[in-house]
Amino acid sequence: MGAGGRGDGLARVLFVERDPHLRALEAHFFGEAGYAVEFAADGQAALERARASLPDVVITEILVAKLDGLALCRQLKADEKTRGIAVVVFSILASSARANEAGADAFLMKPLAEQRLLGTVRKLLEKRPAAKIPEQSL
Amino acid sequence: MSIVEVPNEPDTLTRITTGNAQLDAILGGGFPANSINILMGEPGSGKTILAEHLIFANARIAGRPIVYLTTLSEPLEKIVRYLQSFDFFDEDRLATGAIIYESLGADLEANGIAALVPRLEEIIKTRSPRIVVIDSFKAIHDVSPSLPDMRRMLYQLSGLLTAYETTAFLIGEYSDDQVSVFPEFAVADGMVELARKKLGTRDERYLRVLKLRGSNYQEGLHAFRITTDGLDVFPRLTSPVLPLSYPFNEARLSTGIAGLDKMLDGGLWAGGAILLEGESGAGKTTLALQFILEGLQRGEPGLYVNFQENPIQLARTIQSLGIDLEDAKRKGLHFLYASPVELQIDSILVTLFRTIEEQKVKRVAVDAIGDLVGAATDLTRLYNYLYALVQHFVVRRIASVMTLETGPGRGPMIGPVSVQSDVIVRLQLERHGNTTRRTLQVVKARGTNHDLDVKDLRITSSGIEVT
Repeated sequence: MGAGGRGDGLARVLFVERDPHLRALEAHFFGEAGYAVEFAADGQAALERARASLPDVVITEILVAKLDGLALCRQLKADEKTRGIAVVVFSILASSARANEAGADAFLMKPLAEQRLLGTVRKLLEKRPAAKIPEQSL
Repeated sequence: MSIVEVPNEPDTLTRITTGNAQLDAILGGGFPANSINILMGEPGSGKTILAEHLIFANARIAGRPIVYLTTLSEPLEKIVRYLQSFDFFDEDRLATGAIIYESLGADLEANGIAALVPRLEEIIKTRSPRIVVIDSFKAIHDVSPSLPDMRRMLYQLSGLLTAYETTAFLIGEYSDDQVSVFPEFAVADGMVELARKKLGTRDERYLRVLKLRGSNYQEGLHAFRITTDGLDVFPRLTSPVLPLSYPFNEARLSTGIAGLDKMLDGGLWAGGAILLEGESGAGKTTLALQFILEGLQRGEPGLYVNFQENPIQLARTIQSLGIDLEDAKRKGLHFLYASPVELQIDSILVTLFRTIEEQKVKRVAVDAIGDLVGAATDLTRLYNYLYALVQHFVVRRIASVMTLETGPGRGPMIGPVSVQSDVIVRLQLERHGNTTRRTLQVVKARGTNHDLDVKDLRITSSGIEVT
């Protein structure tokens, strides 16, 4: 089952991030690019949110509380309901190999370079026929 | 499923160049990208020039912009006005928005330090800057109620700058005693200090790296000058890392004087160093020149460094030996002349090395090293430099001659310098009534069965003869 948008048609991104500065910047850049953005501060909250709202993309730091980003990724990919959600591991840790083992669809290192992150998300959404890619991110 | 690993874009540099290759080398390649750095020094030390040269060296018309923020010291208009006198200034970089100058002064005056982080966040959101400069950051303390308030603001500021892919430079007129007190030093990844020392009627400028996380930087004081090109930096000379073994070459080089070669059992080892000591008029300059000219005949480019005779005087000396100066230059003769009034040892040595590397020099004459004593602010530093210099010559197999004028009032250089020299040749003027005789003696010659006798030295129209 793939991830699906809401009635408004905006592609939805769930960020799993504690850093308030990053959250503010991510909200701004992805909002400007036409995405619907939501946040979770820890992995457990993110898992519950993802199961409930089925975002198109989850972008997660590895180092988050309660359920780390890699464990979150594994759980999302193990569940038929959430398997279709694209997962980007966006971390301060140089852990692309571990992200790959966890089933992540992409890996980027921090700090935030908005064009790089937006470009990655766009590429992942292009692989999902049901996803609506915002025009502003073109 | 194979993972998409997004590589760093070409725009994401590992290092940020300063625009000056020597300073980049001191920093281990430049400032680390995505770091927070402090450039500190008293007014007029050159820190703003360093920052401006850096931003122009990194500005790209089609890339993410560089944002230069002024605060509460110099007005923005003044900074931009004087910037235009530098050769690195490029109006296109401003006109196209590759470099953006903005003032935070009004915001800071109206709202104090609370204005800084929101304003910077807005700049990041709207400009996506690759580099941010804040000048003067120290001046912001003037609108801070207290150091704890400043510390809280800096916590937020460093969090914001760390979250985003940008490299920051905070410029300030900090003094050494403020480094352990002001909170910006705790969050900085790099700290570079620029200073100047008064030496007689001139200033000598130095910079040093106090801290640079994740970098193999060169410690110590590095001299520099301010020119229309920005900073001209002279990295402190250090001893080379000697290879564990380097080939020991049995071949000896001719000094250009047959009698002296005979005294030295064939000549000087490649990479060997001769110290020529003697009073004024004894023949040191002529002998040093002949050593260089001999090398030219053998296809070995030579460098003659001197602080006493200006180029015209030197040309006459060379021509008096029957040498065509232009022909000698074509064969690889290079000169480095520095006026003793304006000597800065660091700049001389860096220029010397540049010339050696660029021209593949194999013989060097330094005439006279005693002149460097007068220009040195620190004799220990000078001796260390001379030691390192000789070691560099050894590793590069460059044969060298250094002259040292002896006699009343000429200073205690003999000890440290003679220890480093492989060969010591003493030239003397012996006076008997109305006659004066020049003599030469080999006082020391490492690893050589040398002639200890005092020989006659004559200066003829074709050079020195030793009999």
